Amino acid sequence: MLDAIDKTLLKTVADLESLPKGAYNIRKNGKLLSRHVSANINIETNADETGIIVKIKPGTKNESVHIPVILSQAGLYDVVYNTFIIGDDAEVTIVAGCGIHCGTSDPEGHAGIHEFKVGKNARVTYVEKHYASGEGKGRRTLNPTTKVFLAEGAHAEMELTQIAGVDEANRVNEALLGPDSLLLITERVLTDGDQTAVSTNNIVLNGAGSRANMISRSVMKGNSRQTFYATMDARNKCYGHIECDAIIMDNGTNETMPSLKAEHPDAELTHEASIGKIASDQLTKLMSLGLTYDQAVNRIIQGFLK
Amino acid sequence: MLELKNLYFTIADHEKSGGIRNIIDGINYAFDDGKFYAITGPNGSGKTSLAKLIMGINPVTKGSIVYDGTEISALTITERARAGIAYSFQQPARFKGITFRDLLTIATGIEDEKKLLAILRRVGICPLSFMDKEVDAKLSGGEIKKIELATTIAANPKLAIYDEPDTGIDLWTIGPMVNLLKKELAENKTTTIVVSHNRSFLEAADVVMIINSGRIVYDGNLEGAMPLLEDLSVCTYRNTCEGEQDAGCYR
Repeated sequence: MLDAIDKTLLKTVADLESLPKGAYNIRKNGKLLSRHVSANINIETNADETGIIVKIKPGTKNESVHIPVILSQAGLYDVVYNTFIIGDDAEVTIVAGCGIHCGTSDPEGHAGIHEFKVGKNARVTYVEKHYASGEGKGRRTLNPTTKVFLAEGAHAEMELTQIAGVDEANRVNEALLGPDSLLLITERVLTDGDQTAVSTNNIVLNGAGSRANMISRSVMKGNSRQTFYATMDARNKCYGHIECDAIIMDNGTNETMPSLKAEHPDAELTHEASIGKIASDQLTKLMSLGLTYDQAVNRIIQGFLK
Repeated sequence: MLELKNLYFTIADHEKSGGIRNIIDGINYAFDDGKFYAITGPNGSGKTSLAKLIMGINPVTKGSIVYDGTEISALTITERARAGIAYSFQQPARFKGITFRDLLTIATGIEDEKKLLAILRRVGICPLSFMDKEVDAKLSGGEIKKIELATTIAANPKLAIYDEPDTGIDLWTIGPMVNLLKKELAENKTTTIVVSHNRSFLEAADVVMIINSGRIVYDGNLEGAMPLLEDLSVCTYRNTCEGEQDAGCYR
């Protein structure tokens, strides 16, 4: 059922050695490969069969859902619409990810549109990894979109990672925050060669006492190019922060545009942004501990994208 | 153990005639094995430049550095570190995503939890809670200096260079810090060079060296250094002072 390539992809994007415990839904080449539901977590195909609906019962504690997607069929562009409905007071970890293996010169791609409705005082941790491999020259495209709706007191922590091998990415994150809700997004994107990645983030702080922190870490190797847009729109008494750092290696290029909008007098919004090469004092420090220059560069990038 | 021979470090300076300035101006000195040296002197006298020449962070312009019988002035920082020289920075680098634990592992090659904890206990000045702290901009000046010192000691160097280790350190920690360096020296024969203005380090040292204008102007015990230190403390700009108009200082 799972061949060697599938297993490697699953291991990379979802840290899975075999089928996971608890609820899961594995999609391969646009079709359902395997599914398992639990007492508190239900997964069903949506009405127009374009994706799944994951429902987590209110009050569910310490459970996880794995929903990896793997693609190894040449010429396929797989689009999926997934909805997550997280009940009030639930605590859940959702692990998504897309691995593409491209063995031919035909392009392959995946667009995952993930919508999260997080109930009152619920907590969700969402981990998403994107990775592409294979010796084929076909262009690999990954265009993930996340839309997050946080009810009163809800917490969402999102870790969004694009590890390697993706030629083109158009990443979109949108969020609407209710009263006293908290959103933490950490996005890490590594590009190399002639790859491009655009990340567009729109976070609306709608409820009183809502808080959001968006951290972006970008590394551009080779001739790759990344563009980062982030807008925080404060419509109430709230707190928002954007931190975006980009490290340029080789001939990479970067544009970073954090933007803050305060539409309420008690809004507190801050941002910090930096673009540059690896700081020389960091390199010198690690070399003085015995690492070579190349080892020091790798260690710094590894930490930066950790 | 360490010998500096006719050592120069020169930089471009267009305000000077000839367009260059000797930051280190022909230093000859032999450091003995297993001794505690305190280097002091006015701001801008060349103390840090000299320390960085020994570690390979500054390139030698002229002259030689012989360490354990080997000429090292052409070696990289990495090669000098692997030969047993460690350096504690005055302003340590801050990272993103690298923890104190990571630095200890890089410095020692040790990943084992028990062994890392044993190192922390041996060093003493960093609480356990530091272990998984990121060495980033959130650390206070004192915290990062403690981590810097601990990482240097953990590497078990034969020659340890500390550039102003007491900057940002609270008064209550300076005594234990001095004792720690003395203990490392007694137990491991670590030749210790401390760049400092702090009297605690000067008192602990076997040899006090005073550097002024890139030259060693004194080496010996603290008592002998005192008259010169008091003299230097009056004004470090006296040679360039031109009265009210262009004092070159912030008085």
